[in-house]
This record gives sequence, C-alpha cells and structure tokens, in this order.
Amino acid sequence: MYTILTGVKSMIELRNVERSYKTGHTETWVLRRVNLTIHPWEFITVMGPSGAGKSSLLNVLGMLDDQWRGELLFDEAEVHTMNRKQRADLARRRIGMVFQSYHLLDDLTVAENIDLPLSYKDIPRQERQGLVADTLDRFNIVGKKDLYPHQLSGGQQQLVGIARAMIHKPALLLADEPTGNLQSKQAKEIMEMFRQLNEEGTTIVQVTHSEANAAYGTRTIELRDGWIHSDTAGEATDIPVEVRP
Amino acid sequence: MNRLIQDIKFALRQLRKAPGFTMTAIITLALGIGANAAIFTLVHAVLMKNLPVADPAMLVRVGDQDDCCVNGGVPDGNNYSIFAWELYEHLRDQTPEFENLAAMQAGYGLGGITARSNRPGDLPKPSRGEMVTGNYFQVFGLKPYAGRLIVPSDDKPGAPMGVVMSYQTWRRDYGEDPSIVGSTFVLNTYPVSILGITPPSFYGDRMTDSPPDFYIPMVLEPQLGPAHPTTLLKDARGSNWLYLLGRVKPGTDVKKLQGEMSASLRNYLATLPLYQKKDQAKNLANSHVTLTPGGAGIENMKQQVGAGLKMLITISALVLLIACANIANLVLVRGMARRTETSIRMALGAQRSRLIRQMLTESVVLSCLGGIAGIAVAYGGTRVLLSMAFPNAHNLPIDATPALPVLGFAFGLSLLTGLIFGVAPAWVTSHSQPADALRGSNRSTSDRSGWVQQSLVILQAALSLVLLVGAGLMAKSLSKLENQDFGVVTANRVVAHFSPENAGYKPEQLQALYDKITDDLHALPGVERVSLSLYTPLEGNNWGEGVFLQGRPEPGANSQVGASWLRVGPEYFDIVGHRVVRGRGITPQDTATSTPVVVVNETFVKKFFPNGGNPIGAHFGVSGMESAGDWEIVGVVSDIKYNNLKQPTRAMYFRPLLQLAHTKPEGDTRSLYAGAIMLQTKGSVEGLESQVRHTLANINPNLTLTNFDTFAGQIHGQFNQERLIARLTLMFGIVALALASVGLYGVTAYSVARRTPEIGVRMALGANRSSVVGMVLREAMLQAGIGLAIGVPAAWICSRLVQSQLYNVSGHDSTVLALAVLVLAFAACAAGLIPAQRAASTDPVKALRTE
Repeated sequence: MYTILTGVKSMIELRNVERSYKTGHTETWVLRRVNLTIHPWEFITVMGPSGAGKSSLLNVLGMLDDQWRGELLFDEAEVHTMNRKQRADLARRRIGMVFQSYHLLDDLTVAENIDLPLSYKDIPRQERQGLVADTLDRFNIVGKKDLYPHQLSGGQQQLVGIARAMIHKPALLLADEPTGNLQSKQAKEIMEMFRQLNEEGTTIVQVTHSEANAAYGTRTIELRDGWIHSDTAGEATDIPVEVRP
Repeated sequence: MNRLIQDIKFALRQLRKAPGFTMTAIITLALGIGANAAIFTLVHAVLMKNLPVADPAMLVRVGDQDDCCVNGGVPDGNNYSIFAWELYEHLRDQTPEFENLAAMQAGYGLGGITARSNRPGDLPKPSRGEMVTGNYFQVFGLKPYAGRLIVPSDDKPGAPMGVVMSYQTWRRDYGEDPSIVGSTFVLNTYPVSILGITPPSFYGDRMTDSPPDFYIPMVLEPQLGPAHPTTLLKDARGSNWLYLLGRVKPGTDVKKLQGEMSASLRNYLATLPLYQKKDQAKNLANSHVTLTPGGAGIENMKQQVGAGLKMLITISALVLLIACANIANLVLVRGMARRTETSIRMALGAQRSRLIRQMLTESVVLSCLGGIAGIAVAYGGTRVLLSMAFPNAHNLPIDATPALPVLGFAFGLSLLTGLIFGVAPAWVTSHSQPADALRGSNRSTSDRSGWVQQSLVILQAALSLVLLVGAGLMAKSLSKLENQDFGVVTANRVVAHFSPENAGYKPEQLQALYDKITDDLHALPGVERVSLSLYTPLEGNNWGEGVFLQGRPEPGANSQVGASWLRVGPEYFDIVGHRVVRGRGITPQDTATSTPVVVVNETFVKKFFPNGGNPIGAHFGVSGMESAGDWEIVGVVSDIKYNNLKQPTRAMYFRPLLQLAHTKPEGDTRSLYAGAIMLQTKGSVEGLESQVRHTLANINPNLTLTNFDTFAGQIHGQFNQERLIARLTLMFGIVALALASVGLYGVTAYSVARRTPEIGVRMALGANRSSVVGMVLREAMLQAGIGLAIGVPAAWICSRLVQSQLYNVSGHDSTVLALAVLVLAFAACAAGLIPAQRAASTDPVKALRTE
C-alpha cells in the first residue's frame, strides 16, 4: 500500500530506484527498489544505520550520482532520461546541499563561499553581490563576511554552509548529517533554521542519526540495507499503488 | 656505514615499489645526463684533451690561428701563425729556449698523396701525407709501435727516402701486416720505404677528422709536397705553409720567449721585399707571434667548432637543469603522497635530519641509476653526434666509448643532480606538520609544496623558452644559409676529385691528358658536359692573389686588391651555372699558346671598376705592376659563392687550364694541375662513379679518384657544422619543451588530485565541466605565463650570446620569439588540458566521500 497526499502535485517521485557498487566480482546493493514520493513543503528525515543507503539516496536526489537504475521525476521532469549536463542544470537551479563537514573552501571568505553557487550561473556580478548581502543579512552573518572558515566555530561554518545552499533559493534542500559535527546547542540552532526555511516553503530532506533532529521533520523514512523499512507517511511496498480519495 | 647501506636498501625497495615513478625519473635523467655526457665527449676531445705524447705541458705552439694552407702577403693583425720554410729555420736557429722546434705542413688533404704498396693486388690509394721536419717525433717524445720513427738524419738531403705510417692506417688498410714495415711503397710515383708505425694512440699534431696516413720528412717536399712540381723549400720566402710546435727547455719563461721570437720574426721580415716597401713599416713594427700551450697540439678544431661546442654544452646543461626541476617535482609529489608515512615516522620519533638523509639517499640512488642509463644514452648519443659532426671522418681520433673523464663527468653529474633535485623535496616533506598530515585534511588550494612545485615549473617554462628561441634562431639561420642563392646549378651535376700530379705527369703532358680525360668522359653514356678545373665551388678550397691592373697606380700595401681565382675548362661555366653576362667565356681556343685571357665575375667588376668602366679588354697581373699586362679580360660571368658562405661573394677571375703567366711563370706551374672534374649528365646515370674511376684508370692506373659526390651533396657538406648545431639545438629545445610539459602536467595533475574534494564541492554546488576545466587550465596557464614573462627577457638577453653563430638572422628575431612563445603556450595548454579534463570528470560523490 502506498499513500500520497492527494490534491497536491508531487515534487519528486522515485520509482524502483536501485543503486549498487561493484567490488571485484561482488555487487553490493545500497538502494533496493526504492519508491518514494516527496511533496513540496515536506520536511523529510531519512534515518537508518550506517550503510543503510541514506547518503546514497541523498546523492540520487541531489543528482550528484547518475549510476542508479529506475525512474526519477522532479516536478514531472523525467530525470532518468536526462543526460549528465541536463541533470546538473536542473540541480543547479532547484537544489541546495548542506554537508556534515560543511565543505567550505578554506581559501575563500564567508562571502565568497556563499557566492560560489551563483558564480556558476550567468548572473551579473552586481546582482550576485546583492544576493550575497541579502543572504548574509538573512542568516545574521554580515559581521563574518570577510572571515575565513577556520576563523569560525563549527556551528557558524554550518550556518554559512546553509546560507550557501540557500542563496539561489532552491526548492529542495538536501542535508547530509548537517549537525553531525556540532554540539547540541549549535545543532539545535541549525535545526531551528531548517524548520524556519521549511516554513518559508523550502522542501527539505535531511539524513540524520539523531531522533531529536528527526523530530523537526514532518515525515521520517527509515532505510535498512537499501530498502525502505518504514515511512511515517505510509507503508512501503514492492509495487507502488496509488490511492485516490 | 650500516645505516647508509640500510638507507640505500630502503631506497631501492621504495623505487621498486613505484615502477612508474622510477622509470619516468630514470628516463628523464638518462636523457639529461646522457645528452651532457655525449656533448662532453666532444668537448673533452676537442677543447680539453692533450695529445697522447710525453710531457705535453712542455709543448709550445708558435702561433694561435688556424690559418691554412699556403698563404702569402701580410697576415691579419700582423699575427703570424703560419710560416715559410726559411722563416722556420730562422726562428729555430734563433731560439735556443726550444729543446726542439718542429715544423709541419699546415694543410694536407685527401689525395695529397697516392700510395701503392708492393703487395700483389694492392691498388693505388688516395692518402693523406703530412710533411714534417726530422725532429717532429722527438718533439713529441714518441716511441714507434713497430720499426722506427723519422729522425733528423732522415730529413737530410741524400738520405734514403723513408716515411712513417700511422697505426690507424696500418690497421685499417693493411690489416697490421708486419711485412709492411721496411717494405717499399710507391708514393706519387716515388719509391719510399716504410720506416715504422706510429704508436696506436697518436693521431698527429692536431685533432682532426682525417689524420695523416703518412708522415713524410720535409726533405721530400720537392717530390711529395703541396707545390709539386715546384718546391716551397727554396725561393719561396713569401709562401707561408708551416705550423711550428716545439718543446721548451724546463724553466723557460714563455712570455719572455714570445717577445724575443717576435723581435726575431721582425728581423727576418725586414729582409723580405714585401716589407721593404715604404708603406709597410707599420705592419713590420706590429708583426708578432703569439706563443700558446701546445699540449693539445695545433688546436684548429677548437678554433673552428669551439664556440659552437661551448654553446651546445651550455644548452645541454640547461636541459639537465630542466630535467632536475622535473625530477624534483616528481620527488616532491611523491614526498607529498608519502607525507603520512613521514608523519608516522616523525610521530614515532624520527629526527628531521634522519628523514632528510633518507630522502636524499633515495634521490642520489635514483640519480645514480639515471647516470648509468645516461652513460648508455651517452654512448649511443656520442656515436650519432660524431657521425653528424664528422660525416666524412676517416680515422676520427675520438672514441664514442666513454673515456674515464667522461665517466667521471657523468658520475659527478649524477651525484650533483641527485643532490639538486633531492634537497628541496626532502626539506619540504620533512617539514610537514605530523598532526595535519595524519589528519589528512586537504581542501585548501595552498600547501608548503605548492609554491616550490610551481616555481620549478615556472623555471622549466622559462628555460624551455630560452632553448626554443635558440633552436628557432639556429634553424632559421641554417635555413637562410642553405637556401641562399649561391648562383649555382646543381641538378645532374657531379664532382670528381683527382690528382694528376700524384700520377707523375709533367706540365708538358697535361694538355694531352686533359684532352684525353675530357674526350673519354664525354664518351660515357649520359654524360653531356665535362670540364676540368683547379677546384670547384663550395668544396672548401680557395686560391687568392693580389690584382695589379694596367694603367692604374700601384696599390699600396694595405690596399684591398685580393681576388680569388681558378683555372677552368671550356664547359665549366655552363656546368656550374655561371652565366656569361658580358664578352665571352673560356673556349677550347684558349690554349697554352694562345693569348692569355681571363674571365672575371660581377663582383670583380664592381670591386675593380667601381665607376662603371668597361672591364672587357682591360689587363691585369698578379706579380706586381710589372705583370699588369699579363692577362686580358675577355668576359664577365655571374657571381657564384665559392668559399665562405657567411661572407659576400668574393671578386674572382677564371683562367684557362694551361695558360702560364708571362711574369714569374715558375710560380704558376703548380696551378696547371687540375684537381677536379665536373660532369653534367642527362638525368641520373647508373654507376657513374665506377665508370669515371675506370675511365681514369684506363688512362693511367695511378690516376685515382680521391672523392666523388654530387654537386648538391658537396654543397650540402658545407653546412655540417651549422646543421649539427641547429639539429642539436632543436633536439634539446624539443626535449626541454617535452620535459617542461611533463613538469607542468605533473604539477597540474598533482594539484587536481589534491584538490579533488574541493572540485567535488564546487561541482556539488553547481560548477559545470567547462568551469572546472577553465579553473584548472587557468592555473596551469598562469604558471606557464609567468615562465614566459621571465623567459622572454632571458631569451632576449641570451640570444645576444649566439649572435656570432647566426647567419642573416638577428638574435632578436621577433618572429622566432613569437613562435617559441606560441609553441610553449600550446604545449602548456595541452599539458594542462589533460588534468583539467580529469578534474572535470570528478565524481562529486566520490570526491566528497574522500573527506
């Protein structure tokens, strides 16, 4: 049985998505026949033990990985039929990513790090500067704009990471263990930020081990050995069946 | 000691574990060290090697120029390096400071002697014979290999005719046959006995690609000398043709001796009519000799190719420097890759000095392996080099097998390169922070090794540009030299050299001989034209005289009245390509008994008739004003270059083969003997050389060919030195470019590998392939750009140093510079593009996972 919110167009649909890695003669499966529908405004938490396929799922959603099989629709666009460049273009426009270890570039200032996604788009320099200033303001880090990552605390670095992910106003924000390297107080601040972004309309998919962080989400999916083990929005089945009202 | 052995063993193990790195490094080193050792073999032989004689330090040469072969008049700068026989005797007798002062023929060529052994079946062979004084071998303190060497008593009038054969000739031509010693040979129709064989290591008094086959006592000069059938020993006070080399007594003050000999020289010259003219006082006062160390013998080759060799050794050293920079980069990258290992060692208590020593040991072991491979490259390279430098060598006294000094040079070079490329990486790697390295965090674009690597690449790019510019200049110069308009026609033309005087012909027999040769060769199928001549264009020969025009004032001592000349047959102008532009050429009617005539070239007209006067009908001679009526100018032909390719065409005049000058005809006799036959054929004629040989042998078995070549081949041979230098410079330039490209590639690839996580982040944040390619390429091009910015002025400055080697090309040739910059920029772009493409193919998932 598979339940979807009715009357709302889905943002993402995964159909029978599978991913495996070949090591020598053996094939290791990290995602098995994953069927999933994500709607706008959802705040989904993906949980599961190490090696369950959480990050792999995030990479598929973030279009960083194109070695999977199955079907993926993003706003009804068939991602599985797209080539690498088209997928990258789509991701660049619609998706933002936040990483556990922030992945800020050490040699760039806070402002330059935030500007990075814009620098890969055809946006005039002046407009970019305005957007960076707005984002710095929105995330309350104007005072830190000229500092380098190593001059910031972990929480501040992750805030910059989120600001960088949000600067181009993505529809979907993917976060891989966003608080994994933070103390609980900083983690709480980051999660509050996520909640706020979600309330403002950003769809969020986070991977976490933390039950406390999961509580910020509106839906929790648990993965085990690549399979969807549970989904608070309904039950996972082998064959997707659409339920209409 | 144990620790050193342990370090060496560990180094060998480490190198074995990284075969790709080791092979790349060894090949790079082998090229660098091999090229240097090969060039050094030449440098050692030509510039540094002493003659293999007793106590070479006591040998002194009187003179310092490579003047050749029979010269008259006042020498350049009044500096005497070549002497007349009587002048030699004067100097020898006036300078007791010499234990022995020997004289030897300045110019001897192939075919100067035709030698035939008394062994059944042996044919006459064109050979090289050098006239030497009886004390020649005493000066060198040599012992014979077999028989005996020439002694002063052999050089006395009436002594039995005997010569010494060189060991190399004995081995090559006579298979070390012991019966040769004491046997009778026929040299140019004269029976002489072979007194003995020189020591195997002795190659004569000078480094040359063609050492003498026979050493002939000076007393035989009238029979076997260069002026035969006349002589340079009597009544030839103005003919300078001997080099002087002697052994001074211990304690001799050479500087003082030089002054004394110069004074003695002036005393002698004052007795010559040439210096008794009133405007010669200044020349006489300035006449001098320069005494130079004679341990290396007569250093003509040093004068001729020394500058080129010095340039080549500098270039090859630069290539080695680039190779060192490359290896340093490789070692540095490897050191970085082994940073964790180093950090673990340091964390476990290893001292910095110990780590540096270990890494240095590895570098030195690597460079020694490179050195061994380099010696193999040097051996092969030297053989190629020698065949390129001396394509017509005959008994070349330079051995391609690396000699002890060359081996020492290569080993020293290996150690030095090992230290040079090992020190910086060892220092940088050993100064990494263990904590950082163990943490393995690297998302930054900067680290300690970055600037060292980039500096090395910049250095490589700059040096490569200098070498490329040098290569470009040399190639352009060679092209201009080869493609200049010599004025000749070379298609279907061949040149055969022979020596009728060696075959014993008397002057009065020559007309019949020349007619017979011309007729018989004309009769060969495919032969269109035949002409004998004294010599031919661009074969390295030149006869020159001062011109005295009738009706003009007598030229002063310092007037430029010299002109080159030769005797030619009637069809010569057509064969060679001289167009008759005025009057007529030489005809069959210009015989020994007809009115003496000459044909001059256009430069002659410009030089001697500068105001547009008509040269036809004018008269001149070459033996003073009294000879001014000797010859009538009957024609003018177009210019052709005969001698120095880098100088403008000389004024020339052409005489019939057998007309003697009215004035001093005895001085004109030697020139009656033609030295060359030129043939024009209808297309290519199969077996022409053999047919010409047979034709001559049928006329007289002693008429042997000393050389046979196409006219084009003869001209091609004039550029051997320039071609060698241009080719080697180009080769070094290409090697340098390749090494610099590999260096840039290595650094960029390393940078990409190190920045994989960063590139992954960028791609995860939206960077597309082209922006990643652009980013990596920008960095590579920035380094190349800085290298070019340094290299352009460096090349600009260095090119001034090679100006003397260039022909009609400015050292500051902007086309060459621009082309070199383009080539380097292109190579840098190509070298950067591969890692840039790799960077663009970074899988962001994998890249982020490595964090």
